[in-house]
Amino acid sequence: METKDIPKFKVEFISTSGVYKTPFTLIVILQFLVGCLLIIIINMWYYNDLYYLLTGNQFLPFLLIGQWWEWFLLPMNIYGNLLLFAFSIILFSAVIFKILNKIHPPEEGVFERGSKEWKYTHRRFWTAYFPIWLARSLPLPWSDIFVYRFLGVHVGRNVVAYEGYIDPELIEIGDYTMTSLNICIFSHLIYQERIFIKNVKIGKACIVGPHTIISPGTILQDGAVLGVNSYTWINQNLEGDLIHVGIPVNITLPIQSVEDSQKKAERIKTESKKNTDFND
Amino acid sequence: MFQPASLKGDSPTPIDERLRNKYLILYFIIIILSFMPCVLFEWIYAIFLWKEGIYLIFIFLFPFNILILIHLLQISAILFSILFLTILKLIYPPKEGIFNRNIKDKDYFYWNLRNIVKKWPLFINSSNPFPWLKNRFTLRFFGVKIGSNGIHDNSWISSEFVSIGKNVIIGMNSNILSFGIEQDKFILKKIIVEDDVLIGAKCVLLPGTHIKRNVKLSAHSYTKFNQILQENSTYLGHPAKLREK
Repeated sequence: METKDIPKFKVEFISTSGVYKTPFTLIVILQFLVGCLLIIIINMWYYNDLYYLLTGNQFLPFLLIGQWWEWFLLPMNIYGNLLLFAFSIILFSAVIFKILNKIHPPEEGVFERGSKEWKYTHRRFWTAYFPIWLARSLPLPWSDIFVYRFLGVHVGRNVVAYEGYIDPELIEIGDYTMTSLNICIFSHLIYQERIFIKNVKIGKACIVGPHTIISPGTILQDGAVLGVNSYTWINQNLEGDLIHVGIPVNITLPIQSVEDSQKKAERIKTESKKNTDFND
Repeated sequence: MFQPASLKGDSPTPIDERLRNKYLILYFIIIILSFMPCVLFEWIYAIFLWKEGIYLIFIFLFPFNILILIHLLQISAILFSILFLTILKLIYPPKEGIFNRNIKDKDYFYWNLRNIVKKWPLFINSSNPFPWLKNRFTLRFFGVKIGSNGIHDNSWISSEFVSIGKNVIIGMNSNILSFGIEQDKFILKKIIVEDDVLIGAKCVLLPGTHIKRNVKLSAHSYTKFNQILQENSTYLGHPAKLREK
């Protein structure tokens, strides 16, 4: 399979960063208000009951239960509010994200500032901002992977992708892959007046070490390991079952398999036996 | 952007342990003072809107209440810390140079005190849920000159002796350090970043760096002390070297 032709883009350096703030950023307020709606309705009913139990009055004339056991729901209410707020926002913004995708699907290539593609990537990024921020601040470790799946990023089973920055579009992560602390996976790259967008593929059972940057267009084949503190150049293809290190990646090292290490262990055992025999 | 905690632009302000314990009270005073306007606002909200007949208005305006509360807390935190900061600057004005890393050294001592005062507003603003009023907003109040139309909020920038021009993009998780601690010496030197500069992700600028117009610094590189990067060129490496065409 050949990838789509992209006009030649001479790359002298890698710069990966966030995106510009646009007026569309204000969508965060809309998301916030939508998230509050469901909470308001449920809490209105619940706190009306508690108010009735305390004072004997009620501020809403309807939906009263007024039983003593409702006090025991209070801890559940506090935790439930958090989850309800987060998940209603995640659902709502996933819908907006899908609509934006339908209007203008993400494309690979180089685009000028002010073009349609530039605008829509910014819009998609800012719709993804708040749900991911919330998922990261929830006390559930898998919640951000959940959000990425909702937004359409292909994330496989048993993926560890907790403490890193990952773009919300054009990224594929295979099964059993682990990404470490402080990593950045980018499918976009902003130059002063241009934006470069390309798909990133991370295969099955890869390991991405801490403090690494994965640039747009990188392909990590199944079982590849990206070493600590290294970064990949644009369109770099890392072969599977090898360790890749360097700034940018230029050294490959073999991974020692389990059989190798077993042989080694046996060799050391026999050697130590010989030594002990000799000493006796 | 939506960074996790390990990439957050919050300031891990390096404060000397010996001074931190002594002047902790200063830190708490600023926190308590900055909550005062919020308490006042909530009190007024409750008094005016929690009445018979208009309970529903109280409930449906509550999200807006929280929105205002977050921004009020941010701004009051900045204003109260500026109050203390100006007093400290009047007592001993900050200056560049190489000093001893010793509590008896006045420059080092007051630099630490300034960091204690700045800690709370930097923390509260970088951890706010919205993409606006983040680090750049706070730093401008502290006297750092930052130009318009750029990306600055994903990185950590020192809160004094830094000036950044227009159209500057600073990549994710980059550090701009105008202070350095070398053995028993403590260095403070100004960093100048001119217009149209592009700094990649995970770069480190050490004190005294002067980046001229239209320089591109590639990702994952750092600059030396007092390094000058020439105009219209690309730099790369450890430490940054000119990339020839």
